[in-house]
Amino acid sequence: MTPPTDAVLEVRSICKSFGGLKAVQEFNLTLPRGSLRGLIGPNGAGKTTVFNLLTGVYKPDVGSVVLGGREITGMRPFRIAGAGLSRTFQNIRLFGELSVLDNVRLGCHVRAQHGVFRSIVRTPFHRGEERAIEASARRLLGVVGLLGRADEQAKNLPYGDQRRLEIARALATEPRVLLLDEPAAGMNSQEKVALRALIQRLRKEFDATILLIEHDMGVVMDICERITVLDYGKTIAEGTPDEVQSNPAVIEAYLGADADAGSSHAASKGGR
Amino acid sequence: MEKFLQTLIDALAVGSLYALIALGYTMVYGILKFINFAHSDVFVLGAWTSFLVAVAAGWGDPQASAGAGREWVAWVLWAATIAAAVIAAFEYAAWKRRHPTDAFSLNRTRLAGSLVLVAAWGWAALGLAKMAGVVKAWGDNGLFSGLLILLCAMATCGLVGFVLERLAYKPLRKAPRLNVLITAIGVSLLLQNLGQLQAMFGTRPQRMPTLLPTDAPLATIANVKIMPVDVIGAATAVALMFLLDFLVHRTKFGRSMRAVSFNPTTASLMGIPVDRVISVTFVIGASLAAAAGFLYGQKYPGLNQTAAAVWVLLGLKAFVAAVVGGIGNIRGAMLGGVLIGLLEFFGAAYVSAAMRDVYVFSLLIVVLLVRPSGILGRPMVEKV
Amino acid sequence: MSTLRSRSVEMTPAALPTLVRSVWPLLVGVGVALALQFFAKPVIGDFYAKVLLDIGTSIILAVSLTMVNGFTGQFSIGHAAFMMVGGYVSGGIVYYGSLLAWGSADMAGGALSSMIDGREAPFLTWGDALFAGSLVAGGLVAAVCGYVVGLPSLRLKGDYLAIVTLGFGEIVRVLIQSQTSDVLYTVEEVKETAWYLMPTKVGGALGFSGLPFYSSLFWVFLGVAVTLLVAYRLKDSATGRAFLSIREDEIASEAMGVNTTQFKVRAFVIAAFFAGVAGGLFAHSIGVQLNPGELGFLKSFDIIIMVVLGGLGSISGAAIAAAIVTILPELLRNPEPLLKMWPVLAGLAAVLLVAAVVCAMTGRRARSLVAWMCIVLTLLGLGFGARAAAAAGHNLGDYRMILFALALILMMILRPQGLFGVREVWDRSLWKGIADSFRAPPKKGGTNK
Ligand SMILES: Nc1ncnc2c1ncn2[C@@H]1O[C@H](COP(=O)(O)OP(=O)(O)O)[C@@H](O)[C@H]1O
Ligand SMILES: [Mg+2]
Repeated sequence: MTPPTDAVLEVRSICKSFGGLKAVQEFNLTLPRGSLRGLIGPNGAGKTTVFNLLTGVYKPDVGSVVLGGREITGMRPFRIAGAGLSRTFQNIRLFGELSVLDNVRLGCHVRAQHGVFRSIVRTPFHRGEERAIEASARRLLGVVGLLGRADEQAKNLPYGDQRRLEIARALATEPRVLLLDEPAAGMNSQEKVALRALIQRLRKEFDATILLIEHDMGVVMDICERITVLDYGKTIAEGTPDEVQSNPAVIEAYLGADADAGSSHAASKGGR
Repeated sequence: MEKFLQTLIDALAVGSLYALIALGYTMVYGILKFINFAHSDVFVLGAWTSFLVAVAAGWGDPQASAGAGREWVAWVLWAATIAAAVIAAFEYAAWKRRHPTDAFSLNRTRLAGSLVLVAAWGWAALGLAKMAGVVKAWGDNGLFSGLLILLCAMATCGLVGFVLERLAYKPLRKAPRLNVLITAIGVSLLLQNLGQLQAMFGTRPQRMPTLLPTDAPLATIANVKIMPVDVIGAATAVALMFLLDFLVHRTKFGRSMRAVSFNPTTASLMGIPVDRVISVTFVIGASLAAAAGFLYGQKYPGLNQTAAAVWVLLGLKAFVAAVVGGIGNIRGAMLGGVLIGLLEFFGAAYVSAAMRDVYVFSLLIVVLLVRPSGILGRPMVEKV
Repeated sequence: MSTLRSRSVEMTPAALPTLVRSVWPLLVGVGVALALQFFAKPVIGDFYAKVLLDIGTSIILAVSLTMVNGFTGQFSIGHAAFMMVGGYVSGGIVYYGSLLAWGSADMAGGALSSMIDGREAPFLTWGDALFAGSLVAGGLVAAVCGYVVGLPSLRLKGDYLAIVTLGFGEIVRVLIQSQTSDVLYTVEEVKETAWYLMPTKVGGALGFSGLPFYSSLFWVFLGVAVTLLVAYRLKDSATGRAFLSIREDEIASEAMGVNTTQFKVRAFVIAAFFAGVAGGLFAHSIGVQLNPGELGFLKSFDIIIMVVLGGLGSISGAAIAAAIVTILPELLRNPEPLLKMWPVLAGLAAVLLVAAVVCAMTGRRARSLVAWMCIVLTLLGLGFGARAAAAAGHNLGDYRMILFALALILMMILRPQGLFGVREVWDRSLWKGIADSFRAPPKKGGTNK
């Protein structure tokens, strides 16, 4: 099967600096529909910042983001979510006091009508919509394997389950492109295998287009078709897993040319 | 011209007091990132403490101010002293059992250390109050007594600030900011209503004895009398502010304060005693508020009961000053205080006196909408 | 894959059964309100009827504030201002409306609006209609103010927003206090005054006197029923989840497609509406004189105490706390009704104690049992303390603010989420702690907090 070639997400040379720190420079990306792209790089390379720029948390200094032929640069995050870009967070940001089911139901929010008046009066359509939302939320919980814990508070889930719940919540927005920020972080090897299967399943069942940040090279090299490598905000390589692995610039970025570079990386990790 | 000058003098005098109070809000916000709602009540406590001390020292009309003796203060101090001694003995024994050979210092006892500090501090404040009485008996013109009363009020409120922080805020160091804000509101309500108890200050307004002559202006410019209370009040405020500015920007302790304000976690990793810095910050803020309370009472001797809304409004204006100047920024608080004073007094004098609170709050809303970080503040962004 | 919309249409139920399901809770509410007005009031007597009236108003206020502070996590501390706006609008409409329509501002309501027994009156009159209309009008004007106050929340968070709401409340108070003048007493005076000056004739700093006492148990508890129903239905819908998600994590909420600014403003508007209605009810309550000085931030703090103690985000919690906070001063003033129940309370405490000891001996966790025992014992202690104080010539009710302030501080330190957290009284997970005490001991290390 040949992959379809039309680009669903196109990023044209976006840049972002924080004060003097150039967190992302001239970042370009073209994601064909149904593709799975890896985004890797050492800590502090600017990967999460790329996600924040795409989803509207930060506004790019220059450059543009086009989703499904529609310019979304500089739009507010909720509009971007409505346009079809959804994400998970590296530092998990679930709605802790709410139930697992409610977390996913909230994801459906963006596709729902949710009038205040309708909720108060409970019109027939409102009731139908609530049922439809619950049905799709339960289906998604089934996909990520959390159906049994639907009524627990999200903050009480173990770490790995929380990460999968974030994925379910992001899927509930029915995104065109799904951004996953280190979904395997903190998972044990068993969970990682399950996660890999889950991602494959998402591609098959939901035709998901995925941009994946991941530190676990086993996962990335195994499932991604192409990989982009960032270092100090710059794109230093792009290609198939094999090409990237043999790229000298990438090896240097990861292993460090010498001890000095290593320690400066450690320093740039700083903050919190 | 006359009106303008008079307004200017009042505005500067009161503005410098706003600045003093604003410093407390700003320092606490800078370090703990929450609005210490109870700060205005500490200011009120300062005013009332100085009233009690002044009356006990023999100032004012002896008939009008009955019931100024508060023996229970001494009882509480005795209780604290005895408790401190007993607990210290126990902690010493326990410590000796575990470390038979090491030298012992009070720093090693946790509860007793604080208690000893509190008791000694309380006795010192009481001593200052007694000294004010002695000085008055010698026949004093008010300046020296005023200084003693000021110090006593500052010491008392500093102590209260210390205890409040330890009991109410410290357990919430890691709690969400909203919870701390609610606690602060609770503490504020507690102080207001405790102050109204008969054993404290009662529910009736009182008249603060004025220590400085009210009929002999220092100078007269264009028919406007410049009164000693304005000059000395503003001078005291400015002196205290310079002292604080020196402390924060020029000393080692100030450096640790700024470090904690920047990032408490990192500061503690660098070996800065974060808890102690926070305590001292509260103490400084509270004693500055007490000074403002004393000076305010000298300028406007009618003291309202502690839960009166006017007090909260005064405190809020000071808070607005802190926000306008840029919260977390010490020089900003001073600037903001003077600005608020000018705005309020000129608005009241030239537009409408009834609306004086409206100007201040409107300014607050405008500043928050246009430049939420204030004049001298830096904007903050949340990392995702 | 089909869209959510098409699936929703597929699942839409038939209209008629839906109508029944939508309306019956309201009918029950009306029934309860009628029962309170016509059956309960004569039984419990005037004093407790008045206490019940105050409880109802407090519940409306607390539940409406819950929608802002509890659901969306914005911290408004100027809620009394909306109450004040609603009260003055409603009071002005009723007072001057009655004056123009009937020549006098006396109460012209029917039995439905009567708090006085034995008054001969028809069931419903035009006076009642005027009153009900004025409540809605007061609510709407307050809602407009809510919109205005909600706007800064687009840019401000947490404490800053709190201060702005407080500032707004003070501005409203000062404006009413200083920019309005005496109430007009006769029809001639009203006719002589230009219509656009009428809103300023509401009494200034002295308060709006002469308002007829329309607020009866029926109207107040009708308001309570509507407020509870609206709050509950909002919470249990897409809108409510959007509210709660903002409170939990604004950034994630926005990333999931919630227009956070819009929902925050919505919460403010709805809450202000109900606070306005409560203000109208308060203004026409027996024994109340509408006064700007009384509705300052101290009143707002009262409402906050209720919301925080009940649990930020819990509707039933806010309602229960509102009832307790309103009754407690009365009970402390006169603890006899509470002390009549002392054998029950003591028995309950004893049962809890025995259960806790048994649980502890069999190695089960008994913490929640002990906590509930402490609550019961505190109640009992307060009752006896109040009686002892009364014997010594003191009134513990005067110390209510000290007690509430202490309760607030202790609650934040010991149980920061409030009595019920976001959950409702009937949520089973809330009582899991007690149920767990009786179950097998948890496995080592397998406890989740
Ligand atoms: N809001 C911000 N303000 C200042 N610096 C930031 C901000 N967000 C990210 N950075 C900095 O940008 C750099 C890239 O961070 P990030 O994108 O999180 O890296 P990573 O590749 O590990 O996800 C880091 O040096 C980080 O400190
Ligand atoms: Mg990252």
